[in-house]
Amino acid sequence: MLSAFVAKRLVSGVCQASWRPAVAELVTTRGYKGEAPDDSRGDLIEIPLPPWTEKDGETMDIKRRRLLFQSRKRGMLENCILLSLFAKQYLNTMTEHQLRQYDRLINEPSNDWDIYYWATEAQPVPDVYTGEIMDLLKEFTKNKDQEQRLDAPNLEYLDKGSQ
Amino acid sequence: MAAVCTASRVLAKKVLSAKALPAVSQSSRKLHFSVYGKNNSKVSDGMSTQYPVVDHEFDAVVVGAGGAGLRAAFGLSEAGFNTACVTKLFPTRSHTVAAQGGINAALGNMEGDDWRWHFYDTVKGSDWLGDQDAIHYMTEQAPHAVVELENFGMPFSRTEDGKIYQRAFGGQSLKFGKGGQAHRCCCVADRTGHSLLHTLYGRSLRYDTSYFVEYFALDLLMEDGECKGVIALCMEDGSIHRFRSKNTVIATGGYGRTYFSCTSAHTSTGDGNAMVTRAGLPCQDLEFVQFHPTGIYGAGCLITEGCRGEGGILINSEGERFMERYAPNAKDLASRDVVSRSITIEIREGRGCGPEKDHAYLQLHHLPPQQLATRLPGISETAMIFAGVDVTKEPIPVLPTVHYNMGGIPTNYRGQVITHTTEEGDKVVPGLFACGEAACASVHGANRLGANSLLDLVVFGRACAHTIADICTPGEKLSPLKPNAGEESVANLDKLRFADGNMRTSEIRVNMQKTMQNHAAVFRTGKVLKEGCDKMDAIYQTLDDIKTFDRGIVWNTDLVETLELQNLMLNAVQTINSAEQRQESRGAHSREDFKDRMDELDYAKPLAGQVRKPIEEHWRKHTLSTVDPKTGKVTLKYRPVIDNSLDAEDCAAIPPAIRSY
Repeated sequence: MLSAFVAKRLVSGVCQASWRPAVAELVTTRGYKGEAPDDSRGDLIEIPLPPWTEKDGETMDIKRRRLLFQSRKRGMLENCILLSLFAKQYLNTMTEHQLRQYDRLINEPSNDWDIYYWATEAQPVPDVYTGEIMDLLKEFTKNKDQEQRLDAPNLEYLDKGSQ
Repeated sequence: MAAVCTASRVLAKKVLSAKALPAVSQSSRKLHFSVYGKNNSKVSDGMSTQYPVVDHEFDAVVVGAGGAGLRAAFGLSEAGFNTACVTKLFPTRSHTVAAQGGINAALGNMEGDDWRWHFYDTVKGSDWLGDQDAIHYMTEQAPHAVVELENFGMPFSRTEDGKIYQRAFGGQSLKFGKGGQAHRCCCVADRTGHSLLHTLYGRSLRYDTSYFVEYFALDLLMEDGECKGVIALCMEDGSIHRFRSKNTVIATGGYGRTYFSCTSAHTSTGDGNAMVTRAGLPCQDLEFVQFHPTGIYGAGCLITEGCRGEGGILINSEGERFMERYAPNAKDLASRDVVSRSITIEIREGRGCGPEKDHAYLQLHHLPPQQLATRLPGISETAMIFAGVDVTKEPIPVLPTVHYNMGGIPTNYRGQVITHTTEEGDKVVPGLFACGEAACASVHGANRLGANSLLDLVVFGRACAHTIADICTPGEKLSPLKPNAGEESVANLDKLRFADGNMRTSEIRVNMQKTMQNHAAVFRTGKVLKEGCDKMDAIYQTLDDIKTFDRGIVWNTDLVETLELQNLMLNAVQTINSAEQRQESRGAHSREDFKDRMDELDYAKPLAGQVRKPIEEHWRKHTLSTVDPKTGKVTLKYRPVIDNSLDAEDCAAIPPAIRSY
């Protein structure tokens, strides 16, 4: 009975650890990785996906609308909340150059967790994504004002007849 | 009414055949398809109410591009079927990517193993509500499925001698529960979900699968009880697309977003379940919703149990470590459902924390800062990012959080969607299949074991592809479809786009979520459930008074979130009504007023001399729920559990017993 309990506890610990965004290289700082072994990344190397390309012929207005949808609908909850709050703060005032940076940042990486690791500075940002937007996102993520980020914001902040 | 007339006129006149336009779907390797509507689009950025409709014909259409959808699409394309995959998200951004655990399979790499033991664990885990034929199929196929994935290129983590590394996971045992912990979970480091998506998506492109990304599926095209395809909205330009096909596979995932607090992404909105409901077909076992004890209040992000393992404690508004009362020995480390129930009771009895007294606190600041920094660094970050809390000074607000939906679209073990009548039993719905979290095969029954979900995706995605390959051939001619099929869906879309009532989408949504959270959460009582059903009914009616603000048709997020709300609402009413009716406690459905399981025999006592209860008098049966979308009224029926395995000699079925660990 006792061993089953202990086993269950250990197992739940592993199970929960594997739920959290732990990182292969930084095992020392992210202790709860459990015993998850190294990643050979063979699939990423041998099964390349078609490269991401920028959409042409899109007006800035349409681009903003698209990026709003793509900020709010992500692969996991952490990114849904983070990016939709970020979009609420910054999307409507981004310049064209910034919009294109943001577009690339949220649409090119294939693993949504990577964006979270870069934003939380758990992993170094690849050169192609460094820039103003990445800096803004990292700063934003730190939550220096300690606001309560209970959920992705509702859309009503856009209802000012500005569309 | 006018809107319907307009829509039908539009549909009748502007139906364009895919064949008349450049064959982009055949040759192009582009991710985002050129939308046919762009060439002759009548849709301006202004207030156009014209909806150009494009018709497509395929041998198979898959709705959803997560693990199950991609596996089905890949399997179908590989078998030579001209397959379309319609998805509201880019494939590698499906919620499957959040899965960092692994896939269970009895490969026997860490110790001797047998899939029949995995079968036993799963049947027991389901609290004998799982269909044993489907569980037999899944656990027997598991090793083949994993090896197949390996061959496709998924880089499973390896042991030193090059075999697939397998780790321990909850509920997995050896020798039918008598041999200790089993190590069955295969993983790709900590990104199993992502690797699965990447591998399947990449491979499917080599077989010419046509992806329609960022297309929101609205409804099934049903005619005479047969599914003939799907109608969808292209978000990029607002055109409507009808995907006609003899085989439609639904793989749209779960519906965690019906609750205020869930670990799921904002994309888990039960779109497939709702489509099936609107088609007049039943959903199964929706009352079985799995909760995890500690998700961050509001945000819902999971807080690992490891916190409590390190000495973190749960406290109520009086600063009391309340787990000492509920589990004097294990205290904060009692099993998940015990902790979930304890937190809920504290809140119910008025000792909840925060301004609305609706959550508990997880306190870590009594731990040495050094320990927090080294052993729980991720927690400190998550708490700061999502709760604005400095764990060295303040406690983290937490709540039992919805994690998974065991229920969904009822299917047989081959992935075919079924309906049920008492006279004729199970009957297949022609042309319709389902797999993944959206389906209910049912392999998880009343409670899901960890790492069985990714397995479910792969095995049943594959099963759908195999079944379709068995019963159809590529290139078969499609039966005719009424010219105005899908008209109602477009009318609904139009109505929502211009909705000008009094309640905003976000208001109705939060009302629904709070009602579900307060009335149909971890620990349920008849009276509270009944109140919840009545409240939910009232909230359902407010959908008629909804107000949207974005009148555009291109990338209209407000409209999509409103459509998703409609879908969530259908899931919510079925969940709460099914829970209210089920007067027993089984697996994840836990009732304060009916604490025991009610089976056909009392398995706690010797069976000799007991009389088997008829199905109307016990609860070891599946719930089948349907809704009248106009009124929100839920009707419930029941269906027996399948107790035989696929082959009694190869794998003996497990008769019910009391579930204890």
